[in-house]
Amino acid sequence: MIAIKRSTHATVKERPVTTLDQKPAKAEGRKDPWGVLLEKVGKHQDRAAYQALFEHFAPQIKYYAISNGIANHAEELVQEVFISIWRRSCLYDWRKAAASTWIFTIARNQRIDMLRKLQRRNAEMAVETEDLWQIPGENEDEPVTSLHRLMSERRIRESLGQLPEEQITVIAKVYMEHKSHQMVADELGIPLGTVKSRVRLALNKLKVILQDQNV
Amino acid sequence: MTRHHPDSLTLMEYSAGNLSEPRALCIRLHLEQCPECRGRVDTLDSLGAVMMDQQPKVSVSDTSFEQLMARIDEAPEDTSPVAEAPKVSPLQKLLGQDINDLPWKRQLGDVSVLDITDKFPDQHDRVVLQKLVAGGKAPAHTHKGDETTVILQGAFSDQNGVFNQWDFVSLDEHDEHRPVAVGNEDCITLSVLSAPVKLTGTFTRLLNPFIR
Repeated sequence: MIAIKRSTHATVKERPVTTLDQKPAKAEGRKDPWGVLLEKVGKHQDRAAYQALFEHFAPQIKYYAISNGIANHAEELVQEVFISIWRRSCLYDWRKAAASTWIFTIARNQRIDMLRKLQRRNAEMAVETEDLWQIPGENEDEPVTSLHRLMSERRIRESLGQLPEEQITVIAKVYMEHKSHQMVADELGIPLGTVKSRVRLALNKLKVILQDQNV
Repeated sequence: MTRHHPDSLTLMEYSAGNLSEPRALCIRLHLEQCPECRGRVDTLDSLGAVMMDQQPKVSVSDTSFEQLMARIDEAPEDTSPVAEAPKVSPLQKLLGQDINDLPWKRQLGDVSVLDITDKFPDQHDRVVLQKLVAGGKAPAHTHKGDETTVILQGAFSDQNGVFNQWDFVSLDEHDEHRPVAVGNEDCITLSVLSAPVKLTGTFTRLLNPFIR
């Protein structure tokens, strides 16, 4: 059973590579525009592409910093995220992650790093943020999920529009305000169970929940 | 292939970057061995990207991009492209040696522990490695608060089933269990505890210093 599954994955893995070689136009069609720009930065240190990415994503990241409670360091976070994008774009592979997903994980990790630096009283910790929170596509032997990844962002964008506002509010607080489910419950004045069921309903719709975990 | 996974809410808190470092480590170790959960985290990371895109935007300062380019031009050694780091398990990085060779402290009978909380400064969870010798039994106990466990080696079973290497177990105050190590290997787990474990069996007094 497992062996069959693996070989299916292997086929999925091979296909986009061949497509890329034989029909570049079709493969290019799958790329999102931000991914094209990221590759230009990664391959040629293309500054115009870098600036275009900056103009689109920097205002998002600045809001992300402010909503996460580090308004005093918002410009600094933007700088750190973009230095990291500059340095890591050579590792970016459009087949493994949509550009905005990749940039989100970098922003998240830089935010964690910054909080670690701001709170650090003792010696350095043995493991780094990237050891605990991975950037998609880095250090992966099997790009089995590549197609799922490209599909998933489009699917989420579509499904999110169908979710009730109360579910989106809860998710936004978890992602943008660095809040635990308990903190969200306290802030909204609703039971923890209600917060959890709203998240479960949303994740169910977004197909994140495994079959056996449906509640 | 692992069979016991973190629940989706925990994975969402991981993807959002809201878990403590030791709890993130437990998730990370599971993800390394579980393509299914990696796929779920990928989707959740995309959810994060879409959330960030749909929230308000705040203009950066006029000189922000110039500052960035100045930094890249003036300190090329700090801003040069990174090479892909060699893949080292975060556990190996943290412990620096094989888990079987650690300075285990034998507690009682079949159980040994090693408290590694001090490897995670500036957070409040307690982090312990626990070892149950092959075929050994742990005393019955419940859990106060949340406990997150990932199995690093071997397997154990309790009334909820068999838990194998890289399986992920979440327990709270409602769970009382008496794990037994199954298979030929010692069962080694990494546990993150938000509150002390409460003993329910006859070993209560003896073990209290250990499973506090």
